[in-house]
Amino acid sequence: MTIPTTPLTLVLAILVAPFFGALLSGIDRRITARAQGRMGPPILQPVYDTIKLFRKEPILLNWMQIVYAYLHLLFMVMAFLMLVFGKDSLMFLFVFAFSTLALVLGGMCVRSPYSRIGSQREIMLMVAYEPILILIMIGFYMVNNHSFLLSAPLSAARPMLLSLPLLFVAFLVVLAIKLHKSPFDIATSHHAHQEIVKGITIEYSGPHLAILEVAHFYEMALLFCFIVLFWASPIWIGILLASASFFLMTVVDNAFARLTKMWIFKFMWTSVLLLAMTNVILLYWASK
Amino acid sequence: MQIQEALIALLVLGPLVFGLLMLTGIKGILRNAVVAMAGVVTIGAGVALPFYSGATAPDVGLPALITTAGNWIEPLIILTVLAIGFSIRSWPVRIMALIQLGLCGAGLIMARHEAVEETKLVVDSLALIMVLIVSVIGSLIALYGIGYMNVHEHHAPATATSTNRFFFVLISFLGLMNGLVLVDNMKWLSIFWEGTTLCSFFLIGHDGTTEAKASARRAITINVFGGLAMSLGVFLAAHTAGSESLSVVLTKGPLILLPLGLFALATMTKSAQLPFQSWLLGAMVAPTPVSALLHSSTMVKAGSYLILRLAPSLQGTPLAPVIAIAGAFTFVVTSALAVGQSNGKKVLAYSTIANLGLIACCAGIGTPLAYAAGVTILIYHAVSKALLFLCVGTIEQTIGSRDIEDMGGLLFKMPLTTNVAMIGMASMMMPPFGMLVGKWMAIEAAVRNPVVLILLVLGSALTIFFWAKWLGRITTTSYHETYKIETVSPWMLSVLTLIGTGVIAISVCATLIYAKVIKPISLATFGMDTCPGNISILDSVHSFLGWPMYVVFGTIVLALLAGVLLFKPSQIRLPFLCGENLDLDDHSFTFRGIADAPTSAALTSYYLPLFEESKITSWGNPLAALIILSLFGVLFI
Repeated sequence: MTIPTTPLTLVLAILVAPFFGALLSGIDRRITARAQGRMGPPILQPVYDTIKLFRKEPILLNWMQIVYAYLHLLFMVMAFLMLVFGKDSLMFLFVFAFSTLALVLGGMCVRSPYSRIGSQREIMLMVAYEPILILIMIGFYMVNNHSFLLSAPLSAARPMLLSLPLLFVAFLVVLAIKLHKSPFDIATSHHAHQEIVKGITIEYSGPHLAILEVAHFYEMALLFCFIVLFWASPIWIGILLASASFFLMTVVDNAFARLTKMWIFKFMWTSVLLLAMTNVILLYWASK
Repeated sequence: MQIQEALIALLVLGPLVFGLLMLTGIKGILRNAVVAMAGVVTIGAGVALPFYSGATAPDVGLPALITTAGNWIEPLIILTVLAIGFSIRSWPVRIMALIQLGLCGAGLIMARHEAVEETKLVVDSLALIMVLIVSVIGSLIALYGIGYMNVHEHHAPATATSTNRFFFVLISFLGLMNGLVLVDNMKWLSIFWEGTTLCSFFLIGHDGTTEAKASARRAITINVFGGLAMSLGVFLAAHTAGSESLSVVLTKGPLILLPLGLFALATMTKSAQLPFQSWLLGAMVAPTPVSALLHSSTMVKAGSYLILRLAPSLQGTPLAPVIAIAGAFTFVVTSALAVGQSNGKKVLAYSTIANLGLIACCAGIGTPLAYAAGVTILIYHAVSKALLFLCVGTIEQTIGSRDIEDMGGLLFKMPLTTNVAMIGMASMMMPPFGMLVGKWMAIEAAVRNPVVLILLVLGSALTIFFWAKWLGRITTTSYHETYKIETVSPWMLSVLTLIGTGVIAISVCATLIYAKVIKPISLATFGMDTCPGNISILDSVHSFLGWPMYVVFGTIVLALLAGVLLFKPSQIRLPFLCGENLDLDDHSFTFRGIADAPTSAALTSYYLPLFEESKITSWGNPLAALIILSLFGVLFI
């Protein structure tokens, strides 16, 4: 089964994804609020926030910021579409990484200490999780008859989670980093306890910040769809799996304190990498 | 075929003739004109050659006289090395040169009774690519050198050798390189191989300072070691196979495992693979055209070229996996080393070594896809890295530092160079540029070998780290209403613009280059029907290079347009500094610190202690040496 690339599905994917992402983000905020004994905002609050941001006056430090904000968004959309339409998994990762890189460069192109330190930390995080993501793709390749296409898992007879349990656990850690959840929210955070204020996005405001928000919604939709791939048939189990993972992220976010950058880097390149490698090596061993 | 022969003569001998003109001591405009002419002629001949070369019959016969001449020139070159060994008082160089001389003599005596073999040139696609890289990129760098050396001459140390000699060596080098990639006779191959070593020695030592001398000494010691491995390999191969033709020798397969191992060792020294990397790093003391020409885009590529030539013969031998692992190991370790460096040229040097490691790794993996990846990286790396070296050289000459942390606000000081450098850096790591496509193919090709795979995966993550840091640093700037193009020699600026445009152009044409050049080379090297699965992957690469590539380009253009169209100067404000900003100069990042003293926010990137050079090399070098030893170890199992 593959999703055909018709103009209709294309437009549908582009339009639905940000609302879905905003919804996820709204639910996340609601759960967090309840965990902290508050009522929390309406589920659609992220949508209202973003619309309001779009109507504000833009404030900038230099014009390159705009370029990077759009690059971040456009490449995120592209990565999302590559995932939905089942393109080459490694190229998908590169486009996805470039989107994050545009965000980093947007934070670095201004002379602002907070945004700069946030960007530096974001690069550290990228270096920390990128190998894991590539190993996950290698895992996909091994269980999908040596195909690098992301459409392959959709037609897999056996759910991939059963062959890639350790890689899935590793992915959950990456997910926490990608969503900027505690204990990994060193580059920027939705919580107020950050010493670098909003870090990487601090110099963005108004419509340009809204662009970054929309990109983040796409990113959430992308990560959600990616988890679904681990159990693609029947697809409702995959959706349950993804929902559970996102719920887990919210719980983790509220249960942990932040870590230092080196701690994260070493943790990712030892424990998590070992976990992922064990799974990949077992797959090699099984295929021999 | 007359034209083809004339062009080849022009490519190999032309630079030597122009170089000799330099030695007459011409000065000023005349000198510039001769260098420019040498460059233009070489570019013209290099571009014309593919049009006059038949794809079906790549061989061009040479008169027997040339084979005989090789017998005389080889000892001459070795004697020159020996003389250098005496002049720099280096026992290792002297001993290695003497052994080479002995091998040369023994070879001559043993071949005395045999008929003189016909020498030929192999003008196939791989050789043509190398000729194009050497003659176009190499000549452009020489043209850049005109502007650069005119400035350098004035504040070079008093010990520096004459600029004329510098150009003589620089230009002749192009001819030697062209000879090296075209020639099939192994004796001539080692002549050219040693010739590039000599050029490198003279150019690194150009400034004559203590540091330059020490670097030149290290370069020649390591490269003569490689040359020795080469000579020994040639000697053994010629003896076993009974022919001095490389293409004949390479068909002998399992018979020539030891020579193959020796050739591989020679390529590792030339392309500065771990643990031989120190000479390439030392070479960065030389004037910029040298580091750009010899040590990033052309001479070190001689090693990569030869290992790609050997790749089909390596297949199925125990050597191949070891070479793949050695290359991948170099890739990851030097990428880590680059992370810890704030010296711009060192970052470039380490990244060069890393990419050469990747090419060697591809040659070791040896599937059609891996081979295509290797050739892709060979082409795109040469162009991008030449550009980056020239940019750093220009920046260094203007701001007086090559430290990355000094490059803040560069976009305002040197807008043109910085923009070109941004293109260069982006082309090293981002979609849709060719380097990323090469890396992508390399990882997909490595998937059958878990050890190589994990090394490549870790290395490519580290690659992002140092490029992003640097790219972020040079783009950091406050708001300025107008930008003024820097005053730098027009030779330099025009070459920068030209190569910068070229980098974009060859990535836009990636589909064409892939379909017309890279894929056919790969298929011709491995035969059409060897691995059908791999050919389908080659086709899937092609399908990516089609419209998705243009979508990516379109997206970047769209984002740039958004920036230009949506921006209004009235929207500019100061950065957030907790409301304590001091607007001293325009849009500064100075704030009221303790006791209201104006304090500037310091903005440095991460150069983590974990990635310190001494720490990493302390375990990296021994491990790499061990891998290379096992290259010979596997022959006895």
